[in-house]
Amino acid sequence: MIEQYAAPISIEEATRVMQESNATVLAGGTDLMLQTESGKQQFGSTLVNIRHINEISGISIGNNRIRIGALTTISEILGSDKLMELVPVLAQTADHFASSQIRNNATVGGNLCNASPAGDMIIPLLLLDAEAELASWSKGGVVTRLVPVAEFFSGPGKTHKRDDELLVAIEFPVPSFGFIAYFRKSGPRPALEISTISIGVAGALEKEALHATRMAIGAAAPIPLRARRVEALLEGKPLHSALISEAADLAADETLPIDDVRATAWYRKHLIRVFTIRLLNDVIASSD
Amino acid sequence: MSLQVPIEFTLNGRSTRVTVPPDMSALAMLRDKFDLTGTKLACGEGECGACTILVDDVSVNSCLMFAVDCDGRQVQTIEGLRTDQGLDPIQHAFVDHGAIQCGFCTPGMIMQAKYLVQKNPAVSRQEIKRNLEGNLCRCTGYRKIVDAIADVASSLNNVDTP
Amino acid sequence: MTTVIAKKTVLGQDVAKADMPTTDSTMITIIRQSSIIGKGVPKPDAPDKAIGRTRYINDLQLPLMLVGKILHTDRVHARIKNIDVTAAKSLPGVHTVLTGEDIPELRFGCRRDNVPLKRGKVRCTRDEIAAVAADTEEIATHALRLIKVEYEDLPTVFSPGEALQDNAPLIHDECPGNRGLLYEFSAGDIAQAETDSDVVLETSFDLPYVTHCCMGTSCVIADFDANGKLTIYSQTQAPYNYKMDLAPALGMHAGDIRVIQPPVGGAFGSKLDVYPFEPICVLLAKATGRPVKLMFSREEEFINSPTRQPVEVHLRTGVKKDGTLLFRDADCLLNNGAYTSWGSTVPVVMMRTFSSHFRVPNVRFNGLAVYTNHPYAGAFRGYGNVQATYCTATQMDMLAEMVHMDPIAFRLKNAQVPGEITPQKALLRDCTLADCIQLAASKSDFLNKHATYANQRAKPGGIKHGIGIASSIHVSGGAKIHKSDGCGSILKLDDYARATLITGASEIGQGIDAVLCQIVSEELGIPTSDITIVNNDSAIGPWDVGVHASRTTFVAGNSALRAARAAKKQILKAAAKVSNLPVDELDLRRGQVVQANSGVPVTRLDKLLRDMHFQRHSELVMVTDYYEPPSEPEDKNHMGDLSASWAYAAYVAEVSVDTETGEIEVNKITVAQDVGRVMNRIGLEGQIEGGIAIGLGYALSEQLQLEEGKVQNPCFRDYKVMTAPDMPELDLHFVESNCPEGPLGAKGVAELPAIVTAPAVANAVYNAIGIRFFDPPMSPEKVARALYQQQNQ
Repeated sequence: MIEQYAAPISIEEATRVMQESNATVLAGGTDLMLQTESGKQQFGSTLVNIRHINEISGISIGNNRIRIGALTTISEILGSDKLMELVPVLAQTADHFASSQIRNNATVGGNLCNASPAGDMIIPLLLLDAEAELASWSKGGVVTRLVPVAEFFSGPGKTHKRDDELLVAIEFPVPSFGFIAYFRKSGPRPALEISTISIGVAGALEKEALHATRMAIGAAAPIPLRARRVEALLEGKPLHSALISEAADLAADETLPIDDVRATAWYRKHLIRVFTIRLLNDVIASSD
Repeated sequence: MSLQVPIEFTLNGRSTRVTVPPDMSALAMLRDKFDLTGTKLACGEGECGACTILVDDVSVNSCLMFAVDCDGRQVQTIEGLRTDQGLDPIQHAFVDHGAIQCGFCTPGMIMQAKYLVQKNPAVSRQEIKRNLEGNLCRCTGYRKIVDAIADVASSLNNVDTP
Repeated sequence: MTTVIAKKTVLGQDVAKADMPTTDSTMITIIRQSSIIGKGVPKPDAPDKAIGRTRYINDLQLPLMLVGKILHTDRVHARIKNIDVTAAKSLPGVHTVLTGEDIPELRFGCRRDNVPLKRGKVRCTRDEIAAVAADTEEIATHALRLIKVEYEDLPTVFSPGEALQDNAPLIHDECPGNRGLLYEFSAGDIAQAETDSDVVLETSFDLPYVTHCCMGTSCVIADFDANGKLTIYSQTQAPYNYKMDLAPALGMHAGDIRVIQPPVGGAFGSKLDVYPFEPICVLLAKATGRPVKLMFSREEEFINSPTRQPVEVHLRTGVKKDGTLLFRDADCLLNNGAYTSWGSTVPVVMMRTFSSHFRVPNVRFNGLAVYTNHPYAGAFRGYGNVQATYCTATQMDMLAEMVHMDPIAFRLKNAQVPGEITPQKALLRDCTLADCIQLAASKSDFLNKHATYANQRAKPGGIKHGIGIASSIHVSGGAKIHKSDGCGSILKLDDYARATLITGASEIGQGIDAVLCQIVSEELGIPTSDITIVNNDSAIGPWDVGVHASRTTFVAGNSALRAARAAKKQILKAAAKVSNLPVDELDLRRGQVVQANSGVPVTRLDKLLRDMHFQRHSELVMVTDYYEPPSEPEDKNHMGDLSASWAYAAYVAEVSVDTETGEIEVNKITVAQDVGRVMNRIGLEGQIEGGIAIGLGYALSEQLQLEEGKVQNPCFRDYKVMTAPDMPELDLHFVESNCPEGPLGAKGVAELPAIVTAPAVANAVYNAIGIRFFDPPMSPEKVARALYQQQNQ
């Protein structure tokens, strides 16, 4: 039952309210409306509408880091020339996110905090070694901490963010020269699927081998995960078809997909194998 | 009784004030508080697009949007599309191309189309189709809807839409 | 791209001729190039829909209206031990709470096996056990949560095969063995035909649960007047039968029920029967003395709206080695679900397909509906022919291979010619099946591609291409399954030469309003914008059996045409008097009476009408017509020329299959369909394109998933209908066979696209990857698994 409504215009104001009461944060609302209407989530006593906090919107680049405000919509990510130039995988992922209308309202912060195992934007953020900046009110001031996205999730729909913390931005280093990243998602329609599976691969490509390899898989485990054993297998080795095939089998093995109304575990593993091979072939093709 | 939140926003070009429960959707506000029934409830889950409106010139599913999120913004519904001069070209095109059968999806389609051609008049047929992913229609098979939008786009561009 | 191929030769340079229906041979319509017939006409209601002004039933509010909500059971088969509504009743804002105990046990439905609120036990996930009327939706929903129900669970059964077993749980006490409706037909000598066959193909098919997904969810408003007469605002497609079917559920006289049909957000067959939510709403209105509106959420819609009839088909077909079809022997098991609705009657249409899709002299059909604890099926565009043609068109493809004939030659060999009579005594007067097959094949370069793709199957490469063809036959001149298959019209002209056509035909978005305007416009020479169609009030409109069986253009069109001709006759008679010219030298064009040969105006129509009206022997132009198609009901052996005309279609589908993910992309569909005559070009195209989308969903992605009797995917996220980017390139070709009985030659059109699309896609997939699917949808996972098995054999 919502007893109080707040529409703060600063991080300070927002975190104070969140410290004082049991708050539910409203950003785009695309997940919140669904979760509360279905009863999966209850409103706290205060609804905090963060739409008007300018400090947490916008995309900026400085100190060799890219900072994306939590309020940045998926459409804004898709339409950002800066991001398209420096990290095209974000735009590639955003292009497959739900529908045009949802992209226009859904925020990257919301996607992270909703913590769906299939959360699309999470995959490229894992590939980019992104960190989430969390702010809270403590001892008369705003304090912040950075949590790597890879350590952000604790279970389906659950994160390590405290209830009084506000996600203000996502940051990651500007990828180095030679860094490439690819994302694929299953489904005959490019979007509007809660992913049957989604998968991304990244790294610095040098002479047909990936360095600082990253692989992330969504909708195949309770949380979106880094496929670390596959990363280790691929690291520094020339991407020949035998290695790619081995990586594909290992990727399927590393996940714990479930049977649900959308697909069986068998098909999810099958797709992981298929997409891993395709992604790694994309990687090889980009070296041409 | 639940909390009522006062908000102020521009609705179809007019400055408007209303109070809403904090958990009310923009769709429910438009239909129940303003009797603007052109925007439809067809799924309530952001899957079908029949509830599409423009907020600050950007299309959103009003069923997933909180009414309080309209505060300080420009909201446009299907009823706000026509002007004193007559129907919007998109509305004309839908009628002339036979893109309307039962018409339940039509307001959402037209608002999404408005967003598309305003954002990028050079939009291609393929891009039109992709950007209609979030608008379901059970009657038309979509072809005439795409034709109508492509027609408007090309007349804005004075070229044929590829 | 659309083209029209006229089957009959055109008379003269620019004039085509269409004969009047056989009952009156004196009047002919000359269709000129300037005619509105065959052109694209915007729908009269389109502008209001485009500006959001149209109030659908879902948008309607009546003064003092209450909101009704239904409590559906959370069980699938259980005895109701107790329902406690005390907490719900005392919630402020609740006006009434009803259970089965509060209402008389009045039965309705095809087999009178359903009641509005269930007593005693629940039999499926939909079962309605209580209903609430309250001030707001929020209060009504809250009240539902306060109702406490105690059940004693009963053993469940979900498949027809299991439900027929001796020890199966009994769904209805009065239906032993869970046996529902049975349909049987036979013609010729199957045993002999089997002996004479060189090849006998035997396959089983499993056709799924799919649902209509109308964009406007189910909705009804009930309102009693001070005299106890009911006005019901309904989405019904058959208002007059609706009164008749609703009355027994309420213990009312059908004559005291007035049906208002506001604009609806689709129907597609889902609103041909009476479903519990409707009498429930009426009972709530009666109990509260207030109007009540009851509307489903999308989730409720998925769970409670009737589905397409699922069928298990075992089909045996015999051919000679020269390709001649000898027999078809079909056994069908229908999952009746818990109650009987129109779904269980689809065998009437299925057997028509088995007996008439291509020439088959010997036929045996058996279709049995079996009660289970599943949700039940209703009518859905295509109505049994979707399921049956999936079987026959797949087998035709398989048989062609088995007798080593090319797929087109094999089909042409067995296609009927005009004048043939089917084993069920349907007269195929103008059979254009062969024309459609040849047209579709030539326009798509079918044979070349088919051979090329078949050769590429075994070669390496992740994406395989395929091309497939499927055809069918369907009623197109009504279907005499009720005592009358007719439609009435009342036509009047006012003093300004504006016409009003009151028709029994319902507009459900399919565009009959535009076609009727065209017909009246053509006869009376007035613009379509001067014509108003009235068809939404059963107190005003004359009878029509309903929108189904692709009948409305044909039957309502003929009725309107005859009324318009009668009006024209009356007008020209008056014009002849005034002008001293013979009647047969006059015509009506562009709002004037003209000399027929030269086009020279004689007088303005509006002036003539005023002169007719404001004179000593005053005359208004008001005519009526009731058109009954010259068809026959089936006798008890299912024989009869059920429809006044039959139509044919052949569609070719071209696909690409990703053999790793199993994803099928339909690249192109080539349409060849006999439409009799193109009436409203854009309306016709729209109906074809929309029907294709429904067929594609059936082929590729739509399935209502039931587990332990409960719907697992009651949302658009998990029930996949076609979206805009899914739609293939479409190449439409219409054959104009100029049906003599059809209005200006037109035939019914709208179900064939939903019927032939899926098997065309399935045959294309076989061409691509060499795998047949007997159980649509061909979802990516299903295809991937089949490919995986094929590769690992």
